[in-house]
Amino acid sequence: MLFGRRDQKPIAIPAKPVVEWKYATCNYCSVGCSIELGVDAAGKVITSRGHGEADVNRGKLCIKGLLEHELFDSPGRGTRPLLREDTRTAYRPVDWDHALDHAAEGIQSVQDRHGADAFAVVSTGQLMTEEFYTLGKLVRGCIGTNNYDGNTTLCMASAVSGYKRSFGADGPPGCYDDFEHTECLLAFGSNLPEQHPIIFWRLKEALEKRRFPVIVVDPRVTMFAQWADFHLPITPGTDTVLVNAMLHVIFAEDLADRDYLDAHTNGCVELEALVRESDPSKAAQICGIDEDTIRTVARLYAQAPAAMSIWTMGINQSTHGSDGVVNINNLNLVTGNIGRPGGTSLSITGQCNAMGTREWSSCSGLPGYRLLENDAHREEIAQHWGIEASFLPRGIGLKQTDIFPAIEAGEIRGLWLIATNPLTSMAHQARIRRAMEKLEFCIVQDVYEDVETTAYANLYLPAAVWAEKSGCHTNTERRVNLTRNAVEPYAQSKPDFWIFTELAKRFANASTMNFAVEPEAAFNEMVKLSKGAGGALDISGMSWDKIEAARGLQWPYPEGTNADTGTPRLYCDGQFPTADGRARLIPVRFVDNNETPCADYPFWLNSGRVVEHFHTRTRTGKLGNANKFSPTPYMELNPDAARDLGIAQGEFVRLVSRRGDAVVLAQLTHRVPRNMLFVPFHYHDCVNRLTLGLLDPYSRQPAFKQCAVRIEKTEQVEAGRLNVARRAY
Amino acid sequence: MAELWERRPAEPDYAKLSQNAGPAENRYGQLIDLIDLTEAQGQALPKNRPLGINDNPSVGCNPLRNKQHGFYFNADNCIGCHACEAACAEKNETPAHLAFRSVGYVEGGSYPDYQRLNISMACNHCDDPVCLKGCPTAAYTKHAEYGAVLQDPDTCFGCGYCTWVCPYNAPQLDPVEGQVSKCNMCVDRLEVGLKPACVSACVGNALDFGVIETVPEGRQDADATIPGFPDPRITQPNIRFQQRKRLPDVLTRPDSQPLEYRREEGGYRSGPVSAGDPRVSGSGTRGWGLGRLNSRENALVAFTLLAQAGVGLLALGLFVDGVPLGPLLFAVPALLGAGLLASTTHLGKPLRFYRGFNNLRHSPVAREGAGLAACLALAGSGWLATLADWSTLAAAASALAGAAGIVGLYYMVRCYLIPARPFWNHWQVVTAFAGAALVFGAAGVAGLQLAFAVDVALHPLAWCLLIGIGVDGIGLGFHRRAMWRIGGEGAAAQRELETAFGRSYWLRNALLLASANCALGVALGVVDSAWFWGGCAMAGVAAALSRAFFYVLVIPTTMPGAFFWRNSAFADQARQTGLANLPQVGVHPGGH
Repeated sequence: MLFGRRDQKPIAIPAKPVVEWKYATCNYCSVGCSIELGVDAAGKVITSRGHGEADVNRGKLCIKGLLEHELFDSPGRGTRPLLREDTRTAYRPVDWDHALDHAAEGIQSVQDRHGADAFAVVSTGQLMTEEFYTLGKLVRGCIGTNNYDGNTTLCMASAVSGYKRSFGADGPPGCYDDFEHTECLLAFGSNLPEQHPIIFWRLKEALEKRRFPVIVVDPRVTMFAQWADFHLPITPGTDTVLVNAMLHVIFAEDLADRDYLDAHTNGCVELEALVRESDPSKAAQICGIDEDTIRTVARLYAQAPAAMSIWTMGINQSTHGSDGVVNINNLNLVTGNIGRPGGTSLSITGQCNAMGTREWSSCSGLPGYRLLENDAHREEIAQHWGIEASFLPRGIGLKQTDIFPAIEAGEIRGLWLIATNPLTSMAHQARIRRAMEKLEFCIVQDVYEDVETTAYANLYLPAAVWAEKSGCHTNTERRVNLTRNAVEPYAQSKPDFWIFTELAKRFANASTMNFAVEPEAAFNEMVKLSKGAGGALDISGMSWDKIEAARGLQWPYPEGTNADTGTPRLYCDGQFPTADGRARLIPVRFVDNNETPCADYPFWLNSGRVVEHFHTRTRTGKLGNANKFSPTPYMELNPDAARDLGIAQGEFVRLVSRRGDAVVLAQLTHRVPRNMLFVPFHYHDCVNRLTLGLLDPYSRQPAFKQCAVRIEKTEQVEAGRLNVARRAY
Repeated sequence: MAELWERRPAEPDYAKLSQNAGPAENRYGQLIDLIDLTEAQGQALPKNRPLGINDNPSVGCNPLRNKQHGFYFNADNCIGCHACEAACAEKNETPAHLAFRSVGYVEGGSYPDYQRLNISMACNHCDDPVCLKGCPTAAYTKHAEYGAVLQDPDTCFGCGYCTWVCPYNAPQLDPVEGQVSKCNMCVDRLEVGLKPACVSACVGNALDFGVIETVPEGRQDADATIPGFPDPRITQPNIRFQQRKRLPDVLTRPDSQPLEYRREEGGYRSGPVSAGDPRVSGSGTRGWGLGRLNSRENALVAFTLLAQAGVGLLALGLFVDGVPLGPLLFAVPALLGAGLLASTTHLGKPLRFYRGFNNLRHSPVAREGAGLAACLALAGSGWLATLADWSTLAAAASALAGAAGIVGLYYMVRCYLIPARPFWNHWQVVTAFAGAALVFGAAGVAGLQLAFAVDVALHPLAWCLLIGIGVDGIGLGFHRRAMWRIGGEGAAAQRELETAFGRSYWLRNALLLASANCALGVALGVVDSAWFWGGCAMAGVAAALSRAFFYVLVIPTTMPGAFFWRNSAFADQARQTGLANLPQVGVHPGGH
């Protein structure tokens, strides 16, 4: 010792007595980080670390991933199935047999009385792909309802729709490696450092080696916006105006990639005609970005040898989210930035396995991007599953956002919620509550029994979480990655896979069907099915062991492939999965149907994510070292507006919209303009009591980020009491 | 033998320690090689000594392990993503209400020309570790390996003095465990050639670590400070910064400390927030502040006043004629004993009180306690001697007790002369403590005289009382002027005193003035002697109020917090509303 004590003091540092490291893929967002879980001699997961060899995260993890192993025994976990006939009475514990019998009887009873489609299933982007596939098989093949969707309609539906409209198929065409090659990055409505920290780190690493301009379009001064070379503080909901004006400049100044347009696209004439009207001087009046900046950014983007766009919910969660995606695709097609290293149109996905549900859950059709509308696809799947093709509907049913109105209207009488929490996540909560109250039979299948939806359910099925199970996720860059079982399911909870296969046995069709008993066998079933799919979604060369060895493989990965990582980019040859192989340029007209601030409700209400929380906080709200950074709802409010209203830092205020009210703490910051509030969406009974959530006509995704509210001062003690009463975690 | 830390199979380069050995001396002229440093200090330590982490006797492979290491923080790059904090919490298994590393921020500008500056801060393993010097239990060690300043929670008794003297909020007092713990530099990782967990986890490429004064690859600067960081001259912290982006002229904090930072020649300077800033609740309105006056430091208010009363009584009692020695030598240990008992209740682990003398070599707290305990013991012995009529012995013991008491009070003053606490770091501490000793001493002597029916000589005691009040008042006047003049945390605290506590503040001043008039009247013989007792009572209330202000109002020169984490206003609100009853909120419901 240098100085201090003469005798040497013991140094005690918590030891991590790991006897085995288990391979897993993070179960939060879509970045798809590889995690090693440290298991001790007692079989308990005691620590986690980023996998140093995984290409995605290269050893890094964000706050959620670093603490993720703590969720296995976090408070509120479901320990056994719970049942009640009447939602006004208390639950009683039952065994699994009884619970699953009751589930099957309840579903069939609703269907017998009101028709097959009167029972709806709403799932998630959080399960393993094998589970999604099995759930799809159960719902489409056994239960036979066509009202089956995932909560991905709240986050990625517009990207899916936009990709399909522009390129003929879903699937982000780019990858994280594009940061290493791009000469200009344009981010729309993406708060990358908070939403996808590890993708941000990949971008940062690329910028440490080589400077290139970063342009961030966001109404809020996020760390990303502050840190960018250009921040375009756009008026909410006007992104298509901005892109049209950029396209105007690109065509007017002859900066378009004419060779690419001629060779690989249709519809250029119509697009050019439309954007001719979008002079930047006019656009500036609408989108709030001055014309010089629009011109500068358009030139920068078009003249870069390779330029890429990324976007998240700022685009997707809009009344014209699909159009927004199409317009970003237009921008990249016009500048020849598709399928080129560093030139792409990359939607940064939301949930860890939003891609898996898009690919294999049958929510939007049939497994492997197959379509219900396609006779051959129906035949093929029916034969594979061992059912009559006539059992499958000839078109897609309702999306999640249409299922709740259908419950309100009495068309749907029963609901099965799987790993999703509409009582926090859906817009206009008053309507959602009314709808939930009208259900005759409701099953909630979730990791947590304190999830708010159980208040409206008859049956609660406790699910295992993450590495208590095994299976795959697909990330934003189409990388399929694996989670190995690391620990036994908590108490009597069961893997979702087990629940689906056991429930299937209770339906008539199951007698002719063959459900895989283990997730790996289900994966191999998907491998077989992916061969004939025809599109890019080919995983026929993959196996669990190959995936783990490579720390994730990117599709397409056809049989016989031996590449280390798979296929990093789509459409490199300029061939698109459309009828004529050409991408479609689709002119997008600005639609202004948002609720906008007025005299009674003078503030824009914007919502979004914070880094320490995931979705509705059912997981992160229990983990102190994450939750403590934002343990209760708040809003960002401009200090000038606060001074006018007499509101102090840290004061409770009441927000009021045309739909309801909410109590939040005021955080005064110039991150937001004087006429805008920002409220994180994670909290129960908070921002979605206020939101309107008008739907996109193509994707049915709600516009969470555009509505109008006013601020009222409130009595502090009562507000504090109400705030505590509104959250159990 | 088990490894000190298990490296990952393919450990990425960013996690590996650089082998850049750096210069011979740091910017303060101190040797960076710690073996050489110990040699220069005349007590050379050997190389290749094991650190003894978890009783593991192995010696790390890192060839630079005897160089002073430190953190490097590129503030332009920090995105406030909490990965460093999470990695630290995960590795050290800290509960939600504690953190060895915290990220706070300052912000400024006007939308959209707005900037937030995030600051991630742990322990800076200083050249001059004030925590180590202050700790009475000698729980701290600065090691010749990496220059790590490590603290042993099993030695600590939870007095929290290290949390007062540290300018960076590094030591963490856990109200549940009743002891302090802190950043251990991840010396287990360093020993196997890896950077600390927080650095390895950094997502913004903001944090780094290495031999001090070395600049990481791709970085240019090694600045000693950034806006919001306390004066590095206090402790010579081993952290270096890069911050190149021009920041707004005024930076504010999201937490409830009423401070802001203004651009001045050569950097940013802290000061009280601008009047009417809505970021600070109740700013500018004058209140009583009574709720906040009742604090965890009540025990210290009682301790210091009782100890000063005891020593004051002894000193005056020995000088003023006609004070019966027996009762005096009974009353003094009683007051000191009550005071020391009060101070013990303030400890996180009161049963470890005896460790308070471990660090007489450095700690003013240890010396304060030793002086007062000696005074108590000697005066008590004197009292026993009076019982046995050994008057010479009693006289000698009382004289020695007086000397020990003066030593105790001297170090009591020294305890509060803390550079990281400008509101305290002023000679007014002397006048406040001496004034209280005189006021309570005069009252006590008068009381003893009255009780034992000797000749009550109030005139000299009234002069003592007047001097005590006067000394205190003069000190307060100069202190006020000095606080406004030095600005920063001192001025911010003074403004809180005159606004949020404004009514109590003027009550205290009025009491001082009135008590001084009483004392003067009695001393000059122009009023009835009963006014002496009125003066004593008012001066006593004023002293108690002053002392409560002293503890409650001090604003450390510490790092900015965030809106929730490290924001005392949010913590108070969470306790009041009951939100703090959820452990994952990270606020200990019992207060601290």
